Amino acid sequence: MSGGGRALLAGLVLAAACAVPLDPPPAGPADGGGPPRPGGVLRLGSPEDPHTLDPAKGYDTASWSFELMLFDTLVAYDQGTNLVPELAASWEVSADGRRWAFRLRPDVRFSTGRPLTAADVKFSLERLLKPTIHSQGAEFFAGLEGAADFGAGRAAEVRGIVVPAPDRVEFVLREPDPLFLHKLAMPFASVVDPETVARVGDDAFAQHPVGTGAFRLAEWTYGQRLRLERNPHYFRAGLPYLDGVEVTIGVSDQLAWFKYQRGELDLAGIPSAEFPRVVIDPRYRPLLLERTTLTTQYLGMNCALPPFDDVDVRRALNRAVDKQRLLALIDGRGVVADEILPPDMPAYDPELHPYAFDLAAARAELAAAGHPGGFATTLWATRDDGTLRIAQSIQQDLRALGIALAIKPVDFPALLEAVRRPGMVPLFLMGWEADFPDPSNFLAVLFHSRNRDTNNNTFFADRAVDRLLDEAEPLLAGPRRWQLYHAAEVRILADAPWVPLFHPSSFAVRHPRVRDYRLHPLRPARLETVWLAW
Amino acid sequence: MADTGRSRLLFLVGVGMITVIVLLALLAPRLTPYDPDVTVVARYTGPQPPSAAHPLGTDTLGRDVWARIVFGARTSLAVGALAMLVSLGIGVAVGLLAGYFGSWLDAALMWVVDLLLTMPTLLLLIVLATLLPPSLLTIPLVIGIVGWTTFARTVRGEVLSLRERDYVLAARALGASHGRVIVRHLLPGTLPSVLVLAALGMSGAIGLDAGLSYLGLGVPLPTPSWGRMISETQTYFAVAPWLVVVPGVAISTAVIGFNLIGYGLVDLLGAPRT
Repeated sequence: MSGGGRALLAGLVLAAACAVPLDPPPAGPADGGGPPRPGGVLRLGSPEDPHTLDPAKGYDTASWSFELMLFDTLVAYDQGTNLVPELAASWEVSADGRRWAFRLRPDVRFSTGRPLTAADVKFSLERLLKPTIHSQGAEFFAGLEGAADFGAGRAAEVRGIVVPAPDRVEFVLREPDPLFLHKLAMPFASVVDPETVARVGDDAFAQHPVGTGAFRLAEWTYGQRLRLERNPHYFRAGLPYLDGVEVTIGVSDQLAWFKYQRGELDLAGIPSAEFPRVVIDPRYRPLLLERTTLTTQYLGMNCALPPFDDVDVRRALNRAVDKQRLLALIDGRGVVADEILPPDMPAYDPELHPYAFDLAAARAELAAAGHPGGFATTLWATRDDGTLRIAQSIQQDLRALGIALAIKPVDFPALLEAVRRPGMVPLFLMGWEADFPDPSNFLAVLFHSRNRDTNNNTFFADRAVDRLLDEAEPLLAGPRRWQLYHAAEVRILADAPWVPLFHPSSFAVRHPRVRDYRLHPLRPARLETVWLAW
Repeated sequence: MADTGRSRLLFLVGVGMITVIVLLALLAPRLTPYDPDVTVVARYTGPQPPSAAHPLGTDTLGRDVWARIVFGARTSLAVGALAMLVSLGIGVAVGLLAGYFGSWLDAALMWVVDLLLTMPTLLLLIVLATLLPPSLLTIPLVIGIVGWTTFARTVRGEVLSLRERDYVLAARALGASHGRVIVRHLLPGTLPSVLVLAALGMSGAIGLDAGLSYLGLGVPLPTPSWGRMISETQTYFAVAPWLVVVPGVAISTAVIGFNLIGYGLVDLLGAPRT
């Protein structure tokens, strides 16, 4: 036997010997018993600093998770997707659906101690719409009367935001908008402290955020740590239970897992490598947190680019992807997707399975489209290992049809940029996470022909679908609205611009001392009712 | 040359290691019943440990690791050899020209060499690999372009001394053309060094290919590549260490093997150490 062979054998023996058994979770007080106890600091880890802490600017999960602790909105979601009052005590909508009147809670104070007034709400939304802020959230409030004039600098204020009394604020819309409350629940609509903005300026507000939230910023040492402390002026009596939150920056997901096991972090995600043995481990089971999310992962096909301009080709791909294997590759963390809308979304139809896995039918469709021997094309995907595994699984599926798929791994911002260019990306792997629990946030945003320059990256255009979406748009939540969206979805699926792949669930583990921490289907988890047992 | 016995032994060990890898590459389809690019487990439930059906287990896509190792040997050797040939071609040509003609041409060419040598290899590699679409041809090209400077320097040094030798001077005095002198009289004289460099170049190229693949810039997916096998599975090290160790051993074997051959040749051929 040669030196190489011997080394190989020795390595294998060594390798088999060092497979490490799963370490136990950190020890802590047993579950149950007693009312929530105040006190303690929750320890979290994050790979990077949040992009920003300015609610007008943040539009990513990491930024939002902190903004939700520092700021409040007029309305917010409960543990699910129902809207509940937060800064608002009550609200009314006029009969024509264009005027929304809110009465504020009388007891809200900023973390500086100053009481909240309706003028602060107006200030915050006008700040969002200011052109110098360049907020991605401005589009959600473009329907306010006078927003365009204000944005163009032709008006000193937004006419559609009226403050009739210090505890009342009214919004006037140009057209009825059934989603307006959902938009007010986005972190973009957070109320910020005008005094602080005036003192530090719009740009530095991201480092000195002041709001009415359960916590206030105590320290942010860039690249090292971010500390929040309890807001003593928080309006919900007795909350938050925690004295503070300490986030260590620069902790990769893998490192967070090790730190969690050593008891140095209170919450962590579960690495893919460990997931299968963690979920079946009885020591971990009581500490597992799971929640379905309003997300769909999909394979997008560019309907304006041959050969995917042919519906038969798109349908063939829909029948050729083995979604069960994809689900297995993500450790079963989710459910197979056969439609665009995720479960938990109104108008979701569990009976909708337009394309079954069927290679023979796929081959027939491909032949009918004039590609009996397949073709070569390129699949764009982000370069993380998880996505590339999905991409390679689809690659071998399509090889069965003779389709030679070249995988092009790129960074996420580059992918976002590329898919918006017409004629550039034939196939791409992406996910869409709902901003609010309404089917329009999937169907109109991603498939209306007017959105081909923003998020309709399949360049899908169908007059009948556009009409259905337009008809549904102004309707208030209710059966008629859901019917129209369902009809639109069925039509879109028949035209097959996507291969829906799966709806992922989010998973995490908690330290045994962490109580009442719940993952949210739509937003990062909120911490005001979380408490630590000891 | 007191160490000749030891040199020869190390050389033979190197030859043995490379022979194993070459055999793996040549016989790949006969050594495994599996397609290296296809999921072979009926239902994926994570990587499987070595078993009778899968002697090195299965990976994070349910593919047979042994199949990916043996077919990966083809990738490594092909990329290594092509890259080495590119380096060799450019390097030897530049070295011969610079050494033989001297003066401003030498100065200019060596200035380019120095410039390239000051750049961090990996950085240069990453830039080039990002600019060119990755394929089994462009990756060796990129590695070759980055690696030719050592060849050029060594060959130039050899030529500087060779061109003053009597037989070269005689050839020139007899009116031989520049081309004839370079090809017939100087090139053969550099062969021992070039052979050594070729072996060391293979080792370097295979290492760089593994590095590029590890960074996700190597040969296109799903082509089996030892470097990528490590990067794809490193987070599984605690759960399935064989996924990382096996390709690691393969890369080490190839790199060490070619190095041993190279250094063995230095002593056996009496070529100058580089």
